[in-house]
Amino acid sequence: MHKKLIGRRDFMKSTLAGVGGLFFLPSSEWKHEIKIVESRGKEKKFVYRTLGKTGLKLPVINMGVMLTDNPSLIRAALDSGILLLDTAHGYMQGRNEETIGGVIKGRHRDSFYIATKIGLPQNRTTGLYLEGATTEEFLKRLDISLKRLGLDHVDILYQHGVSRKESVMYEPILKAFEQAKKAGKIRFSGVSTHSNEPEVIDAVTDSKIHDVILTAYTFKQKHYQEVKKAIARASAEGLGIVGMKAVRGAFQQQPTTQNIVASFKWILQDPNVHTVIAGFTTFEHLETDLAIMNDLTLTDQEKLELQKEASIQGLYCQGCRQCIGQCPEKLPIPDLMRAYMYTYDYRNVAHAQDLIGLLDLPNRVCEDCSFCRVKCAIDFNIPKKIRDVARLKDVPSLT
Amino acid sequence: MKAICLILGITICLWVSGAETKGFKFPEVTGWKKSGEIQTFTPKTLYEYINGAADLYLMYEVEELKVAEYQNEKKASVIVDVYRHKTPVHAFGIYSQERPPGGNFFDIGLQGYYEKGFFNFLMGPYYVKISATDTGTQDQEVLLSFAKKAAGNLGEKGKFPPLLASFPEKRKVENSETFIAKNFLGYPFLYSAFTADYELPDKKFKLFLIERSDKKELGNMIQRYLDQTGKTGKVAVEGRHTFSDPHHGEIDLCWKGHYIWGIINLNDLALRSNYLKLFEEELKKRK
Ligand code: SF4
Ligand code: SF4
Repeated sequence: MHKKLIGRRDFMKSTLAGVGGLFFLPSSEWKHEIKIVESRGKEKKFVYRTLGKTGLKLPVINMGVMLTDNPSLIRAALDSGILLLDTAHGYMQGRNEETIGGVIKGRHRDSFYIATKIGLPQNRTTGLYLEGATTEEFLKRLDISLKRLGLDHVDILYQHGVSRKESVMYEPILKAFEQAKKAGKIRFSGVSTHSNEPEVIDAVTDSKIHDVILTAYTFKQKHYQEVKKAIARASAEGLGIVGMKAVRGAFQQQPTTQNIVASFKWILQDPNVHTVIAGFTTFEHLETDLAIMNDLTLTDQEKLELQKEASIQGLYCQGCRQCIGQCPEKLPIPDLMRAYMYTYDYRNVAHAQDLIGLLDLPNRVCEDCSFCRVKCAIDFNIPKKIRDVARLKDVPSLT
Repeated sequence: MKAICLILGITICLWVSGAETKGFKFPEVTGWKKSGEIQTFTPKTLYEYINGAADLYLMYEVEELKVAEYQNEKKASVIVDVYRHKTPVHAFGIYSQERPPGGNFFDIGLQGYYEKGFFNFLMGPYYVKISATDTGTQDQEVLLSFAKKAAGNLGEKGKFPPLLASFPEKRKVENSETFIAKNFLGYPFLYSAFTADYELPDKKFKLFLIERSDKKELGNMIQRYLDQTGKTGKVAVEGRHTFSDPHHGEIDLCWKGHYIWGIINLNDLALRSNYLKLFEEELKKRK
């Protein structure tokens, strides 16, 4: 059995940034201001960062309202010192914006910031806009949102759920942003993204049009280092960066107080992230999230918590190479685990096939062993995953 | 082409969860063709389709989402999303979170409503959301025909949760009923609550009702609420409790047998007592 390993190195260098390797981001360059604020009758430590060129000074923890229709909870968030409420035109079919509208009614307009998002019809597969995605439709939806919120302007308006650079530069929406800004209906514009984030973030940075990026950013993203790089570039160009899905983006584990805190701290280690939006639904979690500002440094226990979560079965191979040399057939197990990840997590079959093609696998893989001798550090069922993914070698190539 | 199908075949069958929306056939509507594969999302992958909103659906125990896209000759498009939840009550819960009380309702499925560009309806454990783009003046007609056909393929239309019938009718806002699966009032120890809005000329308030087969669960809810509101040391017993809630103001809550019911946002003590009584009478009618 021959293993053709030459050539793989370059291939993987370009595609696997983010898997294994650096897990914790350095906390050296934080630029923030610390204040003790009066928070519902108690003194609390708040950490503020400036949202890029918008100049908005925001606490590093804000509220993503999408999961609650509880006005008392939103009220409590504002009374506690949270400044930014993040919603979307489409959340709860508009009821989310209405609930916020009820809460902010009568409050001083300078005492809070509202961010909402407007999405237009997209092709689900390509991420490109469909014909019905017009300037008029975008502006119409903005007017509806303003009415629900009871406001004449929002502070940040995002183009919702962008996954392609072409969509960032989509003329009808750019026109709508321009008109809305001119009409005083929005202060700042931005783009929200939760897939293919690096491409989208780079496109926003290059466009020099927007003020803010709202991006998924979590250690559970296999490509988090690419996201980190794109964020750094965007931030250097003056864009405000709002992080989201710091906790449950991969829906791997029920959130516990410990992993919520650790996950938020993880994302805030990155000095280029200016704030995160937390989707709490209880008063208790509001308090827990605010308490993160007491000390943003990850404790050893929290680091352990993150490691544990990242190594949950089905997430991704840690690249620890502990399995190397254990298989009598000398199968390149970490590489096969990556091919598995491309197929089942990235859904990029062509990519997986390319990799498998380079591995020069034997005709029968994992079929002749009565038991598997490989003990994976994170208990992957190695032969099962290998058998699933090795089937791709028998399928004609897509490319 | 064959190769692509084979690959998709392998991958799709591996991505789809074991539990399926059994027997459901996406509608065939004259003049419209499916424009791609039917997509299936599981609780793990729902984020890829509805992003941050997925968390809300997960709270309502979504088990599977199937999506089909259609196009007509004029390139207008319709997307049919069929969410299957664990139980009809969970499906009602998420439907009720999104339903506008003053909506334009239709008798499709158990209930549905139309707004320009979309039609949503509830049916048993299914929550179906149909959206249309570029359908112009035909919008409502197109959406209704898709909705009727989809409903026809989903079997029994089911019933609204029977507990809703126990809410006093007097001054109840029509179609304002909701089901909150978790973190009711922002507290993790209160869950599975039905609510309805009430409106008087000068007042708006909410009634709620929780039913559990295990009385201990209800006792625990009251106990935790007592502790939360600083009444530590008081023991939860059946009867009426008034809580000074730091977030919601004064809340009256009654516990009897398998039910907890109460009122939020109503300061008028006489009216509060009146509604609690009405509620109790309605609950007595339940077998
Ligand atoms: S079953 Fe285990 S030991 Fe056998 S070939 Fe596969 S990986 Fe190697
Ligand atoms: S032991 Fe497991 S986690 Fe480590 S490299 Fe091998 S397959 Fe990956």
